[in-house]
Amino acid sequence: MNQYAMVIDLNRCVGCHACAVACRAEWQVPVKEGWRRNWVHRLGPANTAHGISFTFYPGLCNHCDRPACVAVCPADPVDMTFTDAKTGQTKTMKVAATFKDPFNGTVQIDKTRCLGCGACRDACPYGARYVNTEVANKDLGGEGIADKCTFCMPRVEAGLQPACVQTCIADARIFGRKDAPEIAKYLKDGAKRLESANVQIGPNVYYAGAAKDLALLDATSTPKTMPEANLRRSLLAGLVRPARKKAEKVGMAGSLLGRLLAQEENKG
Amino acid sequence: MDRRHFLKMSTASAVAIAASAMDVPGQGGLFRAAQAGPMPPGNGTGSMGATEVTSVCEMCFWRCPIVAKVRDGKVVKIEGNPKSPVNGTRVCARGNSGVQLLYDPDRIKYPLKRVGARGEGKWARISWDEALGEIAHNMKKVKEKYGPHALAYFDHGASAENMREIFQAMGTENFTSEPAFYQCVGPAALAYLQTVGYITTGTRQFNDMGNSKAMLFVASHVGENVHVSHVHEFITGLAKGSELVVVDPRFSVAANKAKIHLAIRPGTDTALMLAWINYVIEKGLYNKEFVANKCEGFDALKKAVKGYSMEWAARICDLKIDDMKAAIELLAKASPNVNIHPGRHSTWYGKGDVGRHQTYAILTALFGAVGVPGGIYFPTAVKTGHSEGIEESLKKVAPAKVSLKNDSGYPFSSVFGTVTADIIKAINTGKPYPIKLLGVNGVNIIQTIPNPYETMKAINNLDFIFCQEMMAGETAIWSDIVLPDAVYLERYDGVYAYEGLTPYLTVRQPVVPAMYECQPPYWIAAQLAKHLGIDGYHKSVEEAIDEELAGAGTSIAKLNKEGGIVTYPGNPYRDAKTLNVGTESGKIQLAVEAFADEDLDAVPKFEPTPVPPTGFARLLYGRSPVHTFSRTMNNLWLHNEIPENKLWLNDQVAKRLGISMDEEVVLENQDGKRSNPIKVLVTPGIRPDAVYMAHGFGSKSPHLSRAYGKGAADGFLITETVADPFIGATSKRTNFVRIVKGGKVLDIPELIPVPAELPKYVLKNA
Repeated sequence: MNQYAMVIDLNRCVGCHACAVACRAEWQVPVKEGWRRNWVHRLGPANTAHGISFTFYPGLCNHCDRPACVAVCPADPVDMTFTDAKTGQTKTMKVAATFKDPFNGTVQIDKTRCLGCGACRDACPYGARYVNTEVANKDLGGEGIADKCTFCMPRVEAGLQPACVQTCIADARIFGRKDAPEIAKYLKDGAKRLESANVQIGPNVYYAGAAKDLALLDATSTPKTMPEANLRRSLLAGLVRPARKKAEKVGMAGSLLGRLLAQEENKG
Repeated sequence: MDRRHFLKMSTASAVAIAASAMDVPGQGGLFRAAQAGPMPPGNGTGSMGATEVTSVCEMCFWRCPIVAKVRDGKVVKIEGNPKSPVNGTRVCARGNSGVQLLYDPDRIKYPLKRVGARGEGKWARISWDEALGEIAHNMKKVKEKYGPHALAYFDHGASAENMREIFQAMGTENFTSEPAFYQCVGPAALAYLQTVGYITTGTRQFNDMGNSKAMLFVASHVGENVHVSHVHEFITGLAKGSELVVVDPRFSVAANKAKIHLAIRPGTDTALMLAWINYVIEKGLYNKEFVANKCEGFDALKKAVKGYSMEWAARICDLKIDDMKAAIELLAKASPNVNIHPGRHSTWYGKGDVGRHQTYAILTALFGAVGVPGGIYFPTAVKTGHSEGIEESLKKVAPAKVSLKNDSGYPFSSVFGTVTADIIKAINTGKPYPIKLLGVNGVNIIQTIPNPYETMKAINNLDFIFCQEMMAGETAIWSDIVLPDAVYLERYDGVYAYEGLTPYLTVRQPVVPAMYECQPPYWIAAQLAKHLGIDGYHKSVEEAIDEELAGAGTSIAKLNKEGGIVTYPGNPYRDAKTLNVGTESGKIQLAVEAFADEDLDAVPKFEPTPVPPTGFARLLYGRSPVHTFSRTMNNLWLHNEIPENKLWLNDQVAKRLGISMDEEVVLENQDGKRSNPIKVLVTPGIRPDAVYMAHGFGSKSPHLSRAYGKGAADGFLITETVADPFIGATSKRTNFVRIVKGGKVLDIPELIPVPAELPKYVLKNA
């Protein structure tokens, strides 16, 4: 696998939010609390062990090495054929409605099969996903469609940069294959992932910057635990599956799943 | 397993269970085939494959070249024009959000006539003919009764340019008064004009940060103050190793990137600058050859700054002498490739504002940083033709006998227009003559001109006020007639020539037709001229633009074939031997004789501005990086990013007052004026003797459904102003506030002792 990755250079970032807005424009993300693929959190000014810092958390899906969102997707697996953009090599795998591309490492959503149950959203320790309830695969009994950063794969495949990279007024975002020299240089120089003792799922967005800025970013923005909801949802998704399989044959899978999840949600 | 049991399990095992549940073999028959690749549209179509129209942004005055993406007749996205040598494909958050200005449901859609009281915001929809007829009728009536100068025009930006000609043709000397000048860049512009012979910092800033080896910002908030090429040059400079010194009472975005941050006592910047200039001269750190050959007034300068020692400045400025020395030596070491940023918004304290910016220009010259990479550089003129709506001969203005514009009492104001504060004063006093009608275009005068209470009083004293606007801010709800302006994406405007390092020529053109009954500025001016019986606007707007472009050997059609932009080679630098600046003598004026001729200081002195009275902190304000003035707070996307401002309060002060992060407070200024509630950002990043908020929030217009009442408006706390003696620009940082929490007024503790040389502001009721 030749993983796509992004480096965000906080030495360059001025926190202008152009990335977040360009993403919203490009992917027509409706404005609603928590609905975004790409965000900027303003951090500080606050004291750190390395001095005072005023920096930013420009966040997006990390396209993790071991994504927590993929395993919890309750949609029935289907055969999906992936193609390596470089070699043309193909690989067919069974995937649920969200999956990790075996060639470029991006985590994607098959929006035609997503049920909008929110398990993946809840599973992500970075809060990188939301469920758009303005759309749904009604034929599947879906109640929304999950959405998140795709690393702008449709743009990248057309030879463009991701929308957030293209618009960045400070050239603070560097996107490419992990072994590309401009990315590799940052990784070699110690660019950091937002990982902690309990959250080690291999995020592929890296942050470079002064020690004080990385310290503030880490203190405010690195998840310290895997989400609890993750646990409940994923287990539920697993338990529901046999029932769901039977139900699907009589065309009521989504609604049954939806009801069960709704009940679970009410408890939580 | 019960639910409680689930939660006890480790994450890893949960993932493992879920993963194994997914790999159920032998279920192929149930699977639907799917293909990886471009994602199905889902909830977004993206901009790819959309029709592209090149144009020019006007979300702020920087005017980046853009490409608008249009799908099914709707603008879906805006990107930077890849052919642009300044921004390329980049646009800022605001540039990206032009889409949501266009489609803002709160846009002014039709000509409106006020039916309630001024300020109430009650309107009736009327026709264009009625609206323009009523404006023309009132303009003629006021002119007949009080004379032409009873008409005045507040203007800003592309929307205002055409209508300015109408006011000129009506014969008023008050045909331009830009708060953007008198409440912003004026003092800086004058200081540079007189010292180096050109306006280094106006709409454009000819300072070469990208090629600098060191930079000095004195409270210049580059980064929070976002103009794409400006920020890009700043970051490029830093990335190439330029070392930054930031002088700012606040730990700004730029301060975070600085090698040295000097958290100076507000109001004492000139003291630091003068001490630095003295130090540079005494230690021989200046460029002797450059000063000897290219500057005048060195001896006068040397003499005037002699008394300003570093020890003295350290005490006045509340800084450590070692830091001050390290900073100036760092800057000197980088000379001549050193960027002393000229700043822009300079109406801080009134009296010393021109002088403060003079010190930046002087230090620039001492380092020989003029016309060299990294210093200030020279604009490259881009030749265009000229087109006018109304013939020059019809715009001859005879000044009033006692002229508000020419006899303002400010010796350097008249070339720039009528002093903003003088117009408000004339309306309220009738002196030197009555002003009874205001046209307002492209500027929200209630949020912009200090002391909005005086402005509102003035509006109530008028016979008539009209405005041209896109969004119904405070000025619109105080107007008698509101004209719905087309958004920049719906119209042609002028030709835009960039005279910076990489010159280009481009043109704004409509991306989509104007919505509702909105009309572009050219059309509005032409129709108003017709109603007034003024001869003009014989050409269509396209013909007028082509006439201007013909002077550059191009046309709209030709530009469109070439990607919307023509670029030219830049000529920013000069050989020090042949350098000849635009002053009378061709040399840089280290002491400005023209100022001395008017009994003003040729070399600036430090005259302290009063420090906060006991119990108060100085109110500082600045920019939100996603907003322009008070214009964009209602924008769906920008509001979503930053919906309200926060009050920066020093952490030690907050602790003493028992105020915690995000707690909501109200501010009360020295005259008892109170703000909207505002949330507090408790931070070590602001001095204890100052508080800070971003400007433009706290809208008082209920017609802005998102922005209304969100955050606090600094403008409504700015009631104390001091006029600068050069151009009459009015200060905004001469106001002080304390905190009201739960109805109780809390005094700001004085945590930093104030030297006796600095007078305290005396409260009016004290």
